[in-house]
Amino acid sequence: MRVLVWSALIAVLVPLQSVLLPSIKIGGAMADFGLVAACLAGVLGGELHGLLVGLAMGWVMSLFSVIDPVVAMGIKGAAGYVAGFAGRYLVSLSPLIVAIGMGVLSCGAGLATALLLSLHEVQNGWWALRVVVLPQAVLDALVGGVLYWGLASRYGMGRWLGEHRAA
Amino acid sequence: MRMVNFRASYNTGRLVAVLAVVLLVGFLLLPTQFQQIFQQAGSPVGWVVSWPLRAMAGVKDGLADLWNGYVALRGVEAENRELRKEIEYLKGQNSQLREAAAATDRLAALLEFKQQAGIPTIAAQVIGRDTGNWYRAIILNKGEADGLRPDMGVITPAGVVGRIVKTTAATSVVLLVTDPNNAIAGVVQRTRDEGIVEGTASGLARLKYIPMLSDARPGDQVVTSGLVGGFPKGLAIGTITKIHKEDGGLFLSAELTPAVEGEHIEEVLVIQPLSVPGEGERQGAFKGKSKS
Repeated sequence: MRVLVWSALIAVLVPLQSVLLPSIKIGGAMADFGLVAACLAGVLGGELHGLLVGLAMGWVMSLFSVIDPVVAMGIKGAAGYVAGFAGRYLVSLSPLIVAIGMGVLSCGAGLATALLLSLHEVQNGWWALRVVVLPQAVLDALVGGVLYWGLASRYGMGRWLGEHRAA
Repeated sequence: MRMVNFRASYNTGRLVAVLAVVLLVGFLLLPTQFQQIFQQAGSPVGWVVSWPLRAMAGVKDGLADLWNGYVALRGVEAENRELRKEIEYLKGQNSQLREAAAATDRLAALLEFKQQAGIPTIAAQVIGRDTGNWYRAIILNKGEADGLRPDMGVITPAGVVGRIVKTTAATSVVLLVTDPNNAIAGVVQRTRDEGIVEGTASGLARLKYIPMLSDARPGDQVVTSGLVGGFPKGLAIGTITKIHKEDGGLFLSAELTPAVEGEHIEEVLVIQPLSVPGEGERQGAFKGKSKS
């Protein structure tokens, strides 16, 4: 059932990322729904969930991008795993904390991507940080925070997380 | 205090009776003359009475207008709503027709170019953009199943769009000419100086490795040289806007305005290598197979 749910989510998020988001870029960058989904999957479902969703998201999204699939899978999978790990050991998870965490993870993922991709000489570290990494991290933090706030306020996520962790 | 006696006296009553009889007889015996007399006598009375009459008529008309206006407004409001709906519908239809007309124009231009160019091409639609922020790329609605392969050139009637770098069965990813990671062999059309066209970080392009003694200047067109695979000779890449000496000093470098604004295109043509059958031929072959 979970596989079906996540597959459906991927089937919705990837077209959104490819078709809708490019037309509403903010500051020349767009949020990475795949990364946000992987991190939220990690926070809500644990490390394994985060890892698997990140790997799947990275792979499917790389089919519609020039990016190297191994890099995309590795980065998103790692981000999902770290989010799950952090989520397990954080005492309280408010939307603000999730947003900050998402921003930090997005920054890390962006910098790692810039290092791993063999980009052109004009796309140096400063360019990557200024044009891609920081704007995307802000957007990812916003999207992740708002999504978590929506889920938490609607479904009582705090209590669910407590039970889930106890289990 | 003096009291007013409104009660008619007996003599007055008799006088009135006599007057009435006289008038009745007069009306019966001399009707026309009597009418004229009364008409003339009534004229000033009529004038005096006309004022309150007009005032009353004005009030009545005002009330009537108010009432009719109110009732009519309700009708007008409903009519207004209907008309607004109709306007919205017609606007939508107009917009759709304009869109269809624009698409027809674009496709006609594409078809005309395809026939004139004389190179085997496959028409494709742009259905999306790169899912990440690292590359400038577009997604096409055709892939391996349609004969598209990596390294095929992608063009529009205006010029070069980019090169296919990745394919799935049903889609292809095209790296735009404005991406720094793309490199296309180009030549300055007027001076025939060759170089390599790359994208820039700001979303434009530049021609690198122009010989130092080149006469190239702003306004010159840069076209494909045809030396490296993917593109035949002579397709527009861009126009030179600025020329400067490269750091290190052996070559010149020219900034270009790309001929095609890759971020806004909707339909493209993918250039096929000559060994691969063209779209028409494949369709013909398919029809032939289905007939047999």
